[in-house]
Amino acid sequence: MGKGVGQGAGIFALALICGIASGMFGIGGGVLLVPLLGLLFGFGQHRAQGTSLVALIPPTGVLALMAYAREGFVSWKTGLLLIPGVFLGGVVGGKLAEKLQPQKMRQVFAGILFALGAWQAFSAWWR
Amino acid sequence: MTLIILLLGLGVGVLVGLLGIGGGVVLVPAMVYLLGMDQHLAQGTSLFILLPPIGLGALREYWKQGQVDLRAGVLCALGMLLGAYGGSLVALPLASRHLKGMFGCFLVLSAILLWRKTQLEGKSFSAKGESARG
Repeated sequence: MGKGVGQGAGIFALALICGIASGMFGIGGGVLLVPLLGLLFGFGQHRAQGTSLVALIPPTGVLALMAYAREGFVSWKTGLLLIPGVFLGGVVGGKLAEKLQPQKMRQVFAGILFALGAWQAFSAWWR
Repeated sequence: MTLIILLLGLGVGVLVGLLGIGGGVVLVPAMVYLLGMDQHLAQGTSLFILLPPIGLGALREYWKQGQVDLRAGVLCALGMLLGAYGGSLVALPLASRHLKGMFGCFLVLSAILLWRKTQLEGKSFSAKGESARG
């Protein structure tokens, strides 16, 4: 039980950090949560991903969204157009994830993220 | 333009289901580069897209396989609600250029974490199966 509480506190602290990244960068936070649940708490990959999806069901970004909206930093129309696709794509991806052993695919994704991130930082500061 | 946006959503959605992520990490740069949005605007719009439970369909598939830790998930949701508000207070006063650069650094860090995770998996493949059931 004591271990369970300690782990719970650890997971909560981890979620706080992922949340800060979420609000700062306008993302869900799953991209940090999934690897860190695995690396820090020993979650298997599929379990980490399923748990991350639970955390993304309630509107965790709502307070951050309101802060962005107050400053006029929300394009409501583009958002509305993107939502149905993301939902439908999510069902397809969830089905695919069961069939594949997507380790290779995650490595490709990590590579793409790395390149994208490096390019963004470069174009922001050195161009 | 509308068609591009709809297709972009679909593509990002597949990643949501495959990787168990929200999709914002791909949506934000896609909106900046494909739709020519400002960094702050892309981030705010991404938070809007993440508001409805877009991962619900994907979650159902994981639930059927018993790959969900509900308690940990609820704790994470709570922490992220509070953390996200704090993060937005940090980001909003920043110049768009610096925010964009920091976003880039964040992506690089995430990529390294994801990569490291897949390396560990390669080493202890059978152990991974055990912990997934545990």
